[in-house]
Order: sequence, then C-alpha cells, then structure tokens
Amino acid sequence: MLNSSRTSTRQRALLSAVALAAIAPLALSSCSAGGGDNGASGGAAEQNTRTTLTYATGDAEPECLDPHVGGNYPQALIGSQFLENLVSRDKDGKIIPWLASSWSVAKDGKSWEITLKDGVKFTDGTALNWEAVKANVEHLQNPKTGSSTGYLAFAKIKSVEKVSENVAKVNMSAPDSALLESFSQPWNAIQSPTALKRSQEENCAAPVGTGPFMVKSWTKQDRVVLTRNENYTSAPADAQKQSGPATLTQIDWRFIPDSATRYAALQSGEVDVLDNAQPDNIKAASAASGIEELDAPRPGASNRLELNSGQAPFNDQKVREAFIRSVDVDAAVNSLFMGTTKRSTSALSSVEPAHQDQADSYPFDLEAANKLLDEAGWVKGKDGIREKDGKKLTVRFPVSTNQSIPAEQSLFEQLQAGAKQAGFDVKISLLDLPSWYEALGKNEYELVSAPYTKVGPDVLRILFHSSGIKPAPSGYFANHAQINDPALDKLLDQASATVDDEAKRTELYKQAQQIIAQKQVILPLYDQQNHYLLRSGVKGLRALPTVSTPSFLDVQALPAK
Amino acid sequence: MSTGHGANAVMTKPGSGRAATHRKSWWVAVAVRLMGAVIALWLVATLAFVVLQALPGGPAEAALGGPGSQASAEALQAAREQYGLDRPVLVQYGHFLGQLMQGDLGTSYSQKKPVADVMGPLLAPTLTLAVWALLAAWVLALMTAMVATGSSRVAARLASALELVASVLPGFWLAAVLIIVFATQLGWFPPVSTGTARGLVLPVLALAIPLAGYLSQTMREGMLNALASPYALAARTRGESPWGLRVRHALRHGLVPGINLSGWAFGYLISGAVVIETVFARPGLGRALLTAVTGRDVPLVLGVTLASALGYVLVTIAADALVRLVDRRAA
Repeated sequence: MLNSSRTSTRQRALLSAVALAAIAPLALSSCSAGGGDNGASGGAAEQNTRTTLTYATGDAEPECLDPHVGGNYPQALIGSQFLENLVSRDKDGKIIPWLASSWSVAKDGKSWEITLKDGVKFTDGTALNWEAVKANVEHLQNPKTGSSTGYLAFAKIKSVEKVSENVAKVNMSAPDSALLESFSQPWNAIQSPTALKRSQEENCAAPVGTGPFMVKSWTKQDRVVLTRNENYTSAPADAQKQSGPATLTQIDWRFIPDSATRYAALQSGEVDVLDNAQPDNIKAASAASGIEELDAPRPGASNRLELNSGQAPFNDQKVREAFIRSVDVDAAVNSLFMGTTKRSTSALSSVEPAHQDQADSYPFDLEAANKLLDEAGWVKGKDGIREKDGKKLTVRFPVSTNQSIPAEQSLFEQLQAGAKQAGFDVKISLLDLPSWYEALGKNEYELVSAPYTKVGPDVLRILFHSSGIKPAPSGYFANHAQINDPALDKLLDQASATVDDEAKRTELYKQAQQIIAQKQVILPLYDQQNHYLLRSGVKGLRALPTVSTPSFLDVQALPAK
Repeated sequence: MSTGHGANAVMTKPGSGRAATHRKSWWVAVAVRLMGAVIALWLVATLAFVVLQALPGGPAEAALGGPGSQASAEALQAAREQYGLDRPVLVQYGHFLGQLMQGDLGTSYSQKKPVADVMGPLLAPTLTLAVWALLAAWVLALMTAMVATGSSRVAARLASALELVASVLPGFWLAAVLIIVFATQLGWFPPVSTGTARGLVLPVLALAIPLAGYLSQTMREGMLNALASPYALAARTRGESPWGLRVRHALRHGLVPGINLSGWAFGYLISGAVVIETVFARPGLGRALLTAVTGRDVPLVLGVTLASALGYVLVTIAADALVRLVDRRAA
C-alpha cells in the first residue's frame, strides 16, 4: 500500500511535469504569434484610411523572386512590383517609354540604340546607365543563371556597347522585330548590376530594382512584404502618377493556393485584391456588392487545343477538320465558365492588336464531321469508335492539373463526350507538370492545351515555325501542333525581320494566322484567363498592358478595415 | 567453520544481482531501440530515393525554373554537374548517404538553399498545428468517450454515432464547411491563417475532429472492457460512483490505446496535414513536401521524408514511455 501511493505520487508528478513541458512552448508560441497581424494601419495618419494593402495570389509561390531565373508567371506577378523594364506597352499595343525614354533601330535591323531616362537610381543607390543594361543582358544569357523565358527572348542579342553614359547600343546576330516587346516583359526586367553580383541565393531572396515598391521580407509559404520606394521616379508613360512615390506604403503579398479560401478572405476583408479568380467566384462577386472584377487576359497566345499533325491520325487534314467540327466549344465555354469569358477563335490573345478572329474556320457541325471521317476511310465500329486498318481512332490528351483549372478540365471532358459522337476515342490523362512535359517530349499525345504567355505576335513564330519542332536541351519543344509549312515559315521569318514598319509586320502576322486556320491544327478556346477581384474600396488598380500584371502605383489610400 | 562457500551460500559475482541484470537489460533495450530507429530511417531514405528515380521528369529542370524549362544546353549541363546528376545512380545514392551521415541534408534544387534552411522556418508552424490539433482532439475525445461509456443509453448511442461520423469526415470537406460557417457567415474566425491565435482555431478543428473520432472510439473500447471486468464490480460494491468509476479506474484502460494512437497521429501530422495547410494557407512541411514532389526537387523530398520518419520514431518512443507511466502493468 505504502509503495503504491509513493509510486502514484511520483507518477502524478511526472505526468504533470510532462504536461507542463508540452503546454509551455505552445503558450509561448501563441503569444509570439499574436503579434503577427499588425500591418492593418501601417503609416496612415488619419483614423479612417490605411495605406497597407493585402494581395492574395493563387498562383504557385515562386522559388526565386528574381524573374531572370527560370521565368514563370508567378515571378512576373510579384516581380513587376519592384522591377521595371526599358519599355512598356499601352492598351493599344504600342510600345511606350519606361526606363528608356527613346530608341531607334538601324536600317539593317542589326543594332538598336536605346536612350535611358535621366537620373533614375536603383533602390540600392546604383545609377541606371548603359552598363546596367549590359549587366542584365549578360545575366540572362549566362548559363549559371538558368534563365528560360528571358533567355529565349534575348536569343538574338549579340552584345551591348556604350554610346554614351545613358545610351546603350544593342548589337543583334539577326534582326528581331520583337526586341522591344522582349524588353517589356517582366522576365527581362532591369535589376541593379550591383545586386546581380551577389550570390544567386541572395538575389533570389530580394532582387533590387527601380520599381515603386521593394522587397522587405519573405516568409516562405506565407507572404512577401513589399515596402514603398520613397525615391521612385520612373513611372511608365501611361501611368496616372507621373511623379513621386506611390500612395500605398506597404503591400502584403500573400500566397493562398485554395480558391475558395482566397475568395472567403476577400469577402471577410482579410484580403483586398486577389488574382486567379475562378468562374464561380467571379459569378458570386458580380452578384455581391462591394467586390469588383478586373478582367485582364494575358498576352501572347490564346488558350487553344493543338492537334498533333506530325503523326497519325491527325496527320490527315480531313481527320483534323472532323475533330474540330465534332465539338461544340461555344456551348461548353458558356456553361462551364458561367458566362465569365468569351469564346476565342484566334490563335492570338484578344489583347494583341495583330489578332484575327476566325469563327468561320472553327464551326460546330457534327454531320460534316461524320462525313469527313467517312471520306477519310474511318469506319464506325460496334462501340461507336471509328476504325481503319485495324487501328482505332484513339486520341491521347494529356492534361496538366497544374495548368488547367477545374472548369477547364470539365470543358475537356465535355469535348471528349462530343467527339465520341463522331467516333473519336479521346483518352484524357490528368498528369502533374513533369509527367505532362515528359508525355509531350516523348510525342505521346494527339491533343494538348499548352498556354504560352509572351508580349507580342512573335509568339506565333515560337509556336508555329517549323524550327519549334526541334526540342530544347531539356526535351521541351513549343510547336506542339508540329506544323511544318514553308509558306508559313517564310511569313514568320519575314515578320521577325521587319523592324521598321509596324503595319507591314501586323499584316504579315495576319496572313500567318490565315494559314494556321486553314491547316486546322488548332482549336482556339478562350483568352488566357486572368481575372482579379478587388474590394470596392481599392481605387486606381490597373493591369499593366505588358503581361497583365497588377500595378499598384496609382492606387489611392484605402478605407480602414 | 566455513568461509561462506558452503552449500547454502549463493555464489554471486559483484554486479550480477537481479538489480544489475535489470539495469543491463534496460541498456540493451535502449540500444536495440536506437538500432531499430536508425535502420528504419535508412530504409525510409532509400525507399524515397528509389521512388524519386522512378518518377518521370528530370530533377535538373527543377534548378532551372521548373519542368519544361527552355534553358540553354549549357545551363542544363551546369545544373547537372552542380548536383551530380550526370553520375551513375548508385554513386548519387552513396553520396547522398555519405552527406546524411555527416548531418548534411544537401541543397534544394528549386530553392537553391540548404534543405535545412528551407525546412527550418517550417518546423515551428507545423509542430504548433500538430500539438494543438492533438490537444484539441484529446479534449473532444475524452468528453465523447465519457458520455459514450456513461449510464444514459441514448446519450451513449449518440456519442458512438458521433465518433464514427467524425472519424470518416474528409478533411477538405470539413475545412470548407468550417470556413463557410464560422468565417464567412458568422465571422468569428478568419478564413486564412493570420499568425494570431484566432487564425489557428479553424485549422486545428479541421484536424482535431476526425482525430477525435478515432481517439474516442479506441478509448471507449478500452474503457468498456475495463467496466465489464470483475474489479469494476468490486469497486461499485465499495460505494464508488459511476463517474468516479470511469475516471479513476476505467479511464486508464482507455488512455493506453489512446496514447499509442496519438503517437501515430502526431507523426502523421508532421508531413500529412498538407490539405489543411493548403486550404488555410498555413506554412507547413506537408506543403513543402507536395511542392517538392511536383517539382522533382529530390533533396527537399528526402529531407522532409526523413524529418517525418524521425518524428514518428521519436514520438513512438515518447508514447511508449508515457504508456509505462500510465499503465503500471507495463512498467
């Protein structure tokens, strides 16, 4: 009896000690975590306005904030807050001054002279001059940087020379009519040459630029805190605020991957602006008061299905035409996207001045589809799937779950059902990104939907020139339709070399689009969706007409929460 | 007459009495335990390494902005050389093990930082969520188990049904419902993690409720078994109240399986709370693991997997020790 009570006392003491040890760190962590959310009234003197904005992005968190490394859209989204470009684009697609005040191209297109704006400094004090341009071009072309998008855009740049302190001469290995468009992309932004000399780890954590904001801190999987650049002097030509720093003093750039949570946070006021708004959220927002929409389709190509014309069955034009006529895209887009987006019949995004709508080339006509397949020798089997020479009409369709939103995946399923009526057996496989790229690299696809964001119609060259069939060192290639047409190649090459006549260039791209439509190798769906939702109190937000990233320079003070 | 070497004297070497044997066997037990842990960790590391090799898509692209990178051939070659990806697989494995034994988890391909630096800041939020979820689950489970073993048959039936339903609720659905009800409609809590205590409530509940369902079921089993035993009847005849009977006698029998289950649950929560972390936008090792697998960032995947395995091992040891405290029969 005595023993057991001694043991039980000791046991009880031990248990309490363990319990205390478990709870103590919790109490401490909750206490310290309590001070986290205090940016609500940062900097505002009056009681009823605030100058800290919370932005929620649904895109993946970048692995490196320097858009020179790799080069994807999430990097462009946040990078365009603290980095700027030599030139920008206005909403009519015209190139306008930004860090560069003027430019000229040589008659043979082999060199450009770019004059920089006076007195611009990076936030670390380094001056913006010709050497900065040279350092950035070299950084992008350096294999150690590992650039993908920016490097590709600068593929034809040979070297950068000094003309004077503020004038750089860019020498080309071949004329490139898309050079200025390339210089307007966030993946080709201008960073401080002093900062570029740091280790890649340091530059990835906080790149230094000339933008209206700068990186203060980055808590992984949580947020990046951006603070105002007090010495900001380099607004693009189409900004409202042409001088002075932004009104906002801080932006909390939060990573909220789940779309329902993101929208709930917007409704509750935790968040002021969000991106990647899904169709159901946009619909709900249009009914709700207090939330507005900013629809800013991405430039470059439209979202389209590409038919692999490099192998059977789509190497037969009749079969391609039949597939396109067998699916009712209009109905699918309207129902699945709930009227939040328009059908596109162009290879190019609707924000590109050179885009051409070609509704006649992409009609819905099931009867015609069946007739074409009969003519092409495909006979309907007992299960409704057509056969020819013992092979079934199988269409492999790898879909990347990282790139296709749920509404789009449902759209593909609807198209699959529609195509079945004509006798196509469309096999959709949902894959993660690396597996998807692998399937494409191995040519194991008949259909694919691969978005491509680029400034300007030069994207047609990347996607439809026959040189695009040749794989990059990683195995990736861009011409998924595998179209190989000498007339098309000639038009695209000519357009690329037409550096001094914008009208002629546009005309050439329009002719190129005619050929692409005739060949029936793509089925345009809609623009690359890019919807922002914002609380009504946010005034002055606009999407930069370069790659449709948000610009907070003109945003006024926000109402208090 | 005799010097102690008689027939009645027991030959004893110093340090070989019953107490000494007990101490020696305790050390042996500890050593065996440690060996087991090391072997388990090695197996996990090897398995993860093998699986990653079998996945399609090359890890070199992870260092160049992700899959589908259009980086130059030189950049690709530079990345391959930097991370030793051009060497044979066995050599890579040997190098990886060698690094590991020196305590070096390698460098993340995609984030270009040491894996330890990537995982470090994620440990505190992950553990905070896990510990609070476990505590909340215990509170809920104890309450439900007490009712489920109580005298009111209707309440007991209801409690049992509640346990079952709770344990099968999908985490994603539960999280969405909690957000809609408590964040959007009632506005009591924020829909995303805010770094404050209020922002912790919904994610903790979303994890705790299904766990409480499991815990409660196991505890109820143990308690009901105890309540049906002869000594319980004996205690009742001594005048013990039903409540006291459950708390002072039966509860211990429910605690033991509960503690073992908690050990497993805590280990799981280290890298398994990825759905809740994603929905509530909380930093966590689960999310890091998912991103790393999608991007084929081999060192980071291995790092998180090993951390998770280590967590399981440590927590199992702790759970065992706790069980010995609670259950005197096991001591």
